[in-house]
Amino acid sequence: MDSVFANITMLLLFLTPVASAILVTLVRKKRTIGIITICSASLILVQVFFLVSRIISEKTVTAFGNMFYVDSLSAVILLSISVVGLVSALYSKNYMGRQYDNAMIDDKHIVRYYQGFNVFLLTMLVVPTANNLGIMWVTVEATTLVSVLLIMLYFKENSIEAAWKYLIIATVGLSFALIGTVFFYYANTNVTSFDDAMNWTNMVHNSKLLDPNLVKIAFVFILVGYGTKAGLAPMHTWLPDAHSEAPTPVSALLSGVLLNCGLYAIIRFHVISSNTIGSAFSSHLLIILAVISVGIAAASIYFQKDMKRMLAYSSVEHMGLISLGIGFGGILGVYGAMLQILNHAIAKPLMFFASGTISQKYETKAMSKIKGIIKIMPVTGALFLIGGFALVGMPPFNVFLSEFFILSAGFQSGQFLAVTLVILFLVVTFAVFLRHLIKMVFGNPVVPMKKDDMGKLAVVPMITLGSLVIVLGVFVPQQLQTLVHNAAMIINHGGFA
Amino acid sequence: MESIQLDILTISGSVLLIATFGVVARRGFMDWLNAYRHQSIVLAGVTAIIGYVTGIWEIYIAAVLTLLVKSIAIPKILTYVTRRLDIEFKTETNPYISLRTSIIISALLVALSYFLTQQIPFRSDQVVNVLLPVSMAQFFIGLFVLVNRRTVLSQVVGLLIIENGLFLFTMVLTHGVSLIIEIGILVDILVGIVISSILLFRIGRTFDSLDVTNLANLRDD
Repeated sequence: MDSVFANITMLLLFLTPVASAILVTLVRKKRTIGIITICSASLILVQVFFLVSRIISEKTVTAFGNMFYVDSLSAVILLSISVVGLVSALYSKNYMGRQYDNAMIDDKHIVRYYQGFNVFLLTMLVVPTANNLGIMWVTVEATTLVSVLLIMLYFKENSIEAAWKYLIIATVGLSFALIGTVFFYYANTNVTSFDDAMNWTNMVHNSKLLDPNLVKIAFVFILVGYGTKAGLAPMHTWLPDAHSEAPTPVSALLSGVLLNCGLYAIIRFHVISSNTIGSAFSSHLLIILAVISVGIAAASIYFQKDMKRMLAYSSVEHMGLISLGIGFGGILGVYGAMLQILNHAIAKPLMFFASGTISQKYETKAMSKIKGIIKIMPVTGALFLIGGFALVGMPPFNVFLSEFFILSAGFQSGQFLAVTLVILFLVVTFAVFLRHLIKMVFGNPVVPMKKDDMGKLAVVPMITLGSLVIVLGVFVPQQLQTLVHNAAMIINHGGFA
Repeated sequence: MESIQLDILTISGSVLLIATFGVVARRGFMDWLNAYRHQSIVLAGVTAIIGYVTGIWEIYIAAVLTLLVKSIAIPKILTYVTRRLDIEFKTETNPYISLRTSIIISALLVALSYFLTQQIPFRSDQVVNVLLPVSMAQFFIGLFVLVNRRTVLSQVVGLLIIENGLFLFTMVLTHGVSLIIEIGILVDILVGIVISSILLFRIGRTFDSLDVTNLANLRDD
């Protein structure tokens, strides 16, 4: 793509959410601002599709000198952001409208919500497109700040607590990431000029020359820092609180997309570090954290009483699985990890939307009080079940495919201990998650309720995601295969496919 | 580099450490804020000296911005939000580890940072030798303050010290990553402080206390 055209493409992509946030501020009418946000999210999706089609044919797009750099790896993340962004915007209209009717939120704060939503999308769009790793850090920190604002939207004790913990833990975590970034930059300034030493492309170019000891230290800092943001155990403690107390559409964005942004940052540095000191060092660290994450998630899901917290722990598990795939390496493992990023980004928002509608109907998040969903809300109940089956990795749904790739990569690379442990934890999660799910979906409601699926706009996003879950389980389109394959090649072949 | 500049940097480094210890040793929020303000002024001075030594004009801008944001804006904001709070909310009466032990631990952390910086293979550079351990010490002591104290306010101060340490670390090691990133980091801090002020206000009103032990409803059991 020629440079002027690329600049305009990137500029428009970033301007869309900005314009939408400004419009929301100016209009301030509850009904209209929801529609504005839906329009901007659809525009973003269209632009991302366009950009991704370019990436599939041209592999990379750079804009504004070398400041922005989009390759297949960024494209995978961009796709998940824009798809989840649109369905969350659609779902927000219905969900926040009902929260307004329930007097959970007033006019002023619904404007705040949509402003925050748009800015949140903007910050997440910059993360995977920034070539300059400093800018990437700044925007990751910005995602924390905006999402804290969205979590503390309700004036409840629990949301205040969740927001505070999230703010402190994520900020401290990210300070580690900044130290790591500065170390990488320092190592790179030793071998190149200062001008573009912070750019990822430049670091990859020089990666063979970097000081191995510095890179080791730096990668540990990066892993702790961005690992906090990605929800890898044992730095995950903020995650269940934040994801369960946020408004449901925001939970979907936090779980489905923001965690991916954290992992994306780790992957970028993993590539550099693999070039410098071989992939064994960073892969082993990733595998260790991944096994801990999957284990802690299994234990926490076992004892869980709260529906949304259970879903949050399932996110910890899936982030663990993705890092496991990256750690196992080989084309199979990395391909599986990339696919898992997309599959998780589809299945998790589906579950959050369903749980949001369910908890609005039952007026509780406690799983013991939710019974017989399928009788009261047939469509939501069925989709909740499908999403749950997908999340535990049951065939023929989409997550099964990627988990299968990741685990076979483990056997291929000879990491038998890690694979055995993870399979054990997955079996526990499978059984416990399904037991919770089936108890909620079937049976008879505790109190009789009217049969009602809570409005079309609540169901449409769920059906969209539900059909994607089913379709991607049996058939991955050719273009998507190419994209995911290219992304995997970038990770396996030192940065350039 | 002339020896006078090096002397100034060494003295500034010790002032930075003394200010950090001020936060560890005192109980009152206003004392911490004063220590932080003075630390930030010295930090801006150190930044300007580094700018003078290296001759990079962008560093002067970073120094001025540091002065404006960290020694004027952030203390003003925090004083403003906390002006109506009871004095008992603003004092650390019962830290997990007593103040006397805290000072000893902080001293050990300083020693640890000198030890660590010797382990890492840096380019030999006088500025790095003098100030890098100081920045690491600030980082560690900030972390320690963050986990050791019970009031929400000291967590904010802990974060601010960590951040000052990070800033010094970046500045000393790389003479500033480019200006646009410095500005981005400063904006992030400023917005972060505004958000934590709003949260402080809400915590005070909702829980009628600023003790972090109140914030323990969300748990898995």
